[in-house]
Amino acid sequence: MMDNPVTSKPERGKTLVLVLTLLNTVLVAAISALGVDATIRANQGNRDSQYFAIQASGSLIQAGYKSDYDLNTFSRWLGDTQQGLIAGYSGLLQQAAGDQPGFERLTLESQIYQAKADKARSLSVFFVDPAYAPAPNQDQPDFNTYMSDLYASSNALVTKQNSASDAYHHWSSKSDSYVAILTVLAVAFFLLGVAQMAQPRIRMLFSIFAIVVMGIGVLWTLILLVS
Amino acid sequence: MEQTKEKGSRLEIWIAILIALVSLTTALAAWRTANLGSTAGDKVYQGLLDSVKRQAAANNDWQQAYQDAGYERDYLVTLNGVIAQEKSTDQASQEQAAQLRKNLLPGMESLANPTSSKPFAFTSAGLLDVQQRFDQLQAQSSDLSGLDPQASFDLADSFYKEQRWQVVGTILITISLFWLGLSQLSHLRSRVLILILGILVYGFGLVWSVGVEVIFFLQRAGA
Repeated sequence: MMDNPVTSKPERGKTLVLVLTLLNTVLVAAISALGVDATIRANQGNRDSQYFAIQASGSLIQAGYKSDYDLNTFSRWLGDTQQGLIAGYSGLLQQAAGDQPGFERLTLESQIYQAKADKARSLSVFFVDPAYAPAPNQDQPDFNTYMSDLYASSNALVTKQNSASDAYHHWSSKSDSYVAILTVLAVAFFLLGVAQMAQPRIRMLFSIFAIVVMGIGVLWTLILLVS
Repeated sequence: MEQTKEKGSRLEIWIAILIALVSLTTALAAWRTANLGSTAGDKVYQGLLDSVKRQAAANNDWQQAYQDAGYERDYLVTLNGVIAQEKSTDQASQEQAAQLRKNLLPGMESLANPTSSKPFAFTSAGLLDVQQRFDQLQAQSSDLSGLDPQASFDLADSFYKEQRWQVVGTILITISLFWLGLSQLSHLRSRVLILILGILVYGFGLVWSVGVEVIFFLQRAGA
């Protein structure tokens, strides 16, 4: 009587299943570690994003106060200069009309306004800072450069905040994918378990299924690692 | 034959005890790993709260500093006008200047320094030094401005770092549990070999976890 090779070797293929199980365990362990790492990086990105957002809002508030002060100082200079010019011009008109006391009163008024305007000018960033001071052939300070400098710090913080936010989304998405891969590998564990219990011929079939599922998990992990 | 059977049964009991021990260790390691993540999260939360509080204090101090600068500017501009009046030969204007100096200017000057006893400083370019006033105000509100969110973030990073390493230990212990379970179920002659492998992995995982815990505890100076 000829021996049925299947029934005569019930342990056949069990070593392969064992090796595959060990391999799957190592894969699960490695992917769990990668998942934890991705979660940690996502948390750090989220934290940095919130921290920079707080700083950016503070920087914008400070820029608001600064521009308010600087523009008020400039407008103070402008107002006093114009008042002084008007008083001086009116004085000249009074003098032309023969009103000498009126001329003297308005000239003094003009001098007072001019003194105030001179002080405001000396306190204004638009005249003191060479970066914004009017060029010799221009009347107006360089407001465009001022505005650009004013928000430079806030813009830099917003850029940092955006990149931290992008990092958060990147790592959070990776972390979710690792959870999905672990689920796939859990399916491989189930298939290997069934293979271990099954008849040798069926065992091979389940082992192949498990290898395919493990392959999907490994491929997905590799894609995640290079992305 | 009987002796071999008895030996096998005794080994099964030892493996069962070992599995129970490793299960407890796995649970403990998993708890510690999760706990580290949670502690790091708490530190991040604390750091973010501190940064909100510190930023709110800074916003308030910037507002105060620029408000003071505005009052100081108005005072200095008015003072220059008063000086021009004083220099004039007009009697009425001189009298008006004297009244302004006596009744208006002191009030304007005190408005510019409501919280600081120090007068407003000037930058080397001659502008009002708002940054210095801000620094003075920050020093006065040191309970909020002195908050250090970065310290909490650094501590959180340390816990996250420990969590990363602790995960490796937990995984090793979990793998050892798998091998011990396999040795219990196995009827192969390689049972003892699998058992030794499980014990070795468990020992390595345990030493790793304890080592990580000790190193980070010392690194954080007991925190």
